[in-house]
Amino acid sequence: MSQARTKYSNTAKLLTVLPTIFVLVFVIAPVANIFGKTFRDVSLSLLRSGTIHEIIWFTTWQALVSTVIALALAAPVAFCVANFRFYGQRLVTSLTGIPFILPSIVVGVAFLGVLPSTLHRTAFALILAHAYFNFGFAARMIGNRWLQIHPYLDDAARTLGASPSRLFSTITLPILQRSILNTSLIVFTLCFTSYGVVRMLGGPSRSTIETEIFFRAMQLGDVSGAMLLSVVQILIIGSLFVVSTRFGSRDSRRASAPTISRQRRIDSTAKRFVVGLASLGAIGFTTAPLLAILIRSLRTSAGFTLEGWRSVATSTDLWRGLSTSFVYALGTLAIAVLLAIFASTATVFDERTAAFISVLTSLPIVVSSVSIGLGVLVTFDTPPIDWRGSQLMLPLAHAMIALPLAVRMITPVLQSIPAPLRQASSVLGANTWQTWRNIDLPIVRRSLVSAAAISAAVSLGEFGASSFLVRQNNETLPILISRLLSRPGDILQTQAFALSMILVVFSVALIFLIDTFDDFTPTNRAASDA
Amino acid sequence: MLEVRAITVEYQSKPLFTNLSLTINKGEVVALTGASGSGKTTLLRCIAGVESIASGAIFLDHKDVTNQPAHLRRIGLVFQDNQLFPHLSVGQNIAYSLKLKRVDKKTIRERVEQALELVGLKDLASRDVTFLSGGEAKRVAVARALVAEPRVLLLDEPLNGLDSQLHAKLLKDLGELIRDRGITTLHVTHDQDEARAIADRVFDLHQLIS
Repeated sequence: MSQARTKYSNTAKLLTVLPTIFVLVFVIAPVANIFGKTFRDVSLSLLRSGTIHEIIWFTTWQALVSTVIALALAAPVAFCVANFRFYGQRLVTSLTGIPFILPSIVVGVAFLGVLPSTLHRTAFALILAHAYFNFGFAARMIGNRWLQIHPYLDDAARTLGASPSRLFSTITLPILQRSILNTSLIVFTLCFTSYGVVRMLGGPSRSTIETEIFFRAMQLGDVSGAMLLSVVQILIIGSLFVVSTRFGSRDSRRASAPTISRQRRIDSTAKRFVVGLASLGAIGFTTAPLLAILIRSLRTSAGFTLEGWRSVATSTDLWRGLSTSFVYALGTLAIAVLLAIFASTATVFDERTAAFISVLTSLPIVVSSVSIGLGVLVTFDTPPIDWRGSQLMLPLAHAMIALPLAVRMITPVLQSIPAPLRQASSVLGANTWQTWRNIDLPIVRRSLVSAAAISAAVSLGEFGASSFLVRQNNETLPILISRLLSRPGDILQTQAFALSMILVVFSVALIFLIDTFDDFTPTNRAASDA
Repeated sequence: MLEVRAITVEYQSKPLFTNLSLTINKGEVVALTGASGSGKTTLLRCIAGVESIASGAIFLDHKDVTNQPAHLRRIGLVFQDNQLFPHLSVGQNIAYSLKLKRVDKKTIRERVEQALELVGLKDLASRDVTFLSGGEAKRVAVARALVAEPRVLLLDEPLNGLDSQLHAKLLKDLGELIRDRGITTLHVTHDQDEARAIADRVFDLHQLIS
């Protein structure tokens, strides 16, 4: 190996140290502990229980149906955004991204507000909420891939005799196939491990593996049973992840470079109608639940009232919850972004390190947030490593969950910087650090803002791990909302909706921030192509 | 026969060219030259039907095809950057138009083999198009267009970016292919020597604008 390559390889290895330690201590060790204790001490008889079979079956089929519906809702949005340039396009893209970034508990709360009470605690409510949660994300994933299809490929097919429908079935769909499959697997995983939505909308008769883990560990005191279910879930998600990673890597090899935008002006009434219908439908579907939260925060059975908001503004407990959540969010973004910078920069210097980082930062995705919370609880429970009550545990747990997202926002931007650019800096006398500071950092700065925003959003809305790790003096907003909703009383309900509205406002602000700064959103790419 | 009558084409709401007319007789090879950005590629795309015109008309064998969609015109277009379908092999790319017409598999196989032999790429039918050299990709793009049996063949700078040796060879091969089959051809290039070598008539774009 040449001296230069050795130097870069060593730099890459050095940069991986901190992220590796972090994932090792807070993800791998807890998971290994769960696996170890389960296979050593736990009876597998729970897996023979009919109730558990029903829970696993319900978890699986509701995730499947939710995925199908989410993709069906995403398809028209992806089609419009990828193929047309229209007034309000950026609004559609940003608005449809809001549900995905909303705290899961807020989504659950929103559908409590939208649906009549007869539909609460039904599979229909769960599936609808899951579809709502994920359709914008699916539209972005598929829309982004669609945007990468060179428009002249469509033209080539047309000049060879392909009608619009044959063009779609023979060219567009095969090229999109792997992206659709990859997106489906991710959405399925998210629906499979959904927690906040199921807690709010599922009720006792609609448990999933995730809620059953919490229920067994924290309500029944059956930690062994909870760990066993956690192992089952990790094995299922791990297998899905291996499949989705293989499809994802094949897809990136086939992607054509987006040298010309395929977004055309709308030039016919029929197209205007289709785009209008899809856009208005998407906006309506996105905003209706959010409006329901606002209305429910202002209404009791006695009529309209500001009492909910008034008590939020004056309650010490609730203010403490607010400030705790924001402090944790700041801590999370600091930890996650710092680790993501190290991890992402390492991928640039060495290919083998890039592969290692990809696997390392994918591990937190494989382990659900509830399993992370459970793992931390059962691992760091003995002095001198009794960290269960530590104020740092929550931001650390949140950072674990946010890390994969932050890395995936920063890495593509760093990897897109042509090597000759850094080489030019080197030959002008800059060392590695100076090159990073003067070349990489200005280019990646926007993505850092997006990564920080998404890390903050993850922390603000995190409910799964928090359910295990909060104590009375450090309750976060989602935990407060859950507590308020579990008690009877109109005013308490309006307080819960008011707090949810606060989270909505911040989520909306964060998604607009991400869209402003993320270099890979469809509208930004189209603007740079034009 | 291809006739372009007084067409005006706009780009970003401004005229790119106005009142452009051109006639190509059956079996004739016409070369079109012009400065970069003058609209040569756009003209080809309008004739093929993948770009719309603001005014004027396009006739093919005396039939007005101005408003006819691209997939019905039977006008072949070889793109500057080939635009081979990345998810299909060499053979599948060439067979694309035949599959759309629901030609039987045996005939498709024979026609693809003939086309590959014609362009000097025998035995490459199963090759992944992303692993083709520049010259090979160009030949596949030409074969794909020819197999569709177009009434008119449009070539958009087909030899652009090739090294001089390959350029000379492909120019000779392409010229022979077109002449042997008597295909009405409009060949766009910025290379005057190439234009004179391949064409019966050579025009500069601005000569066509009245």
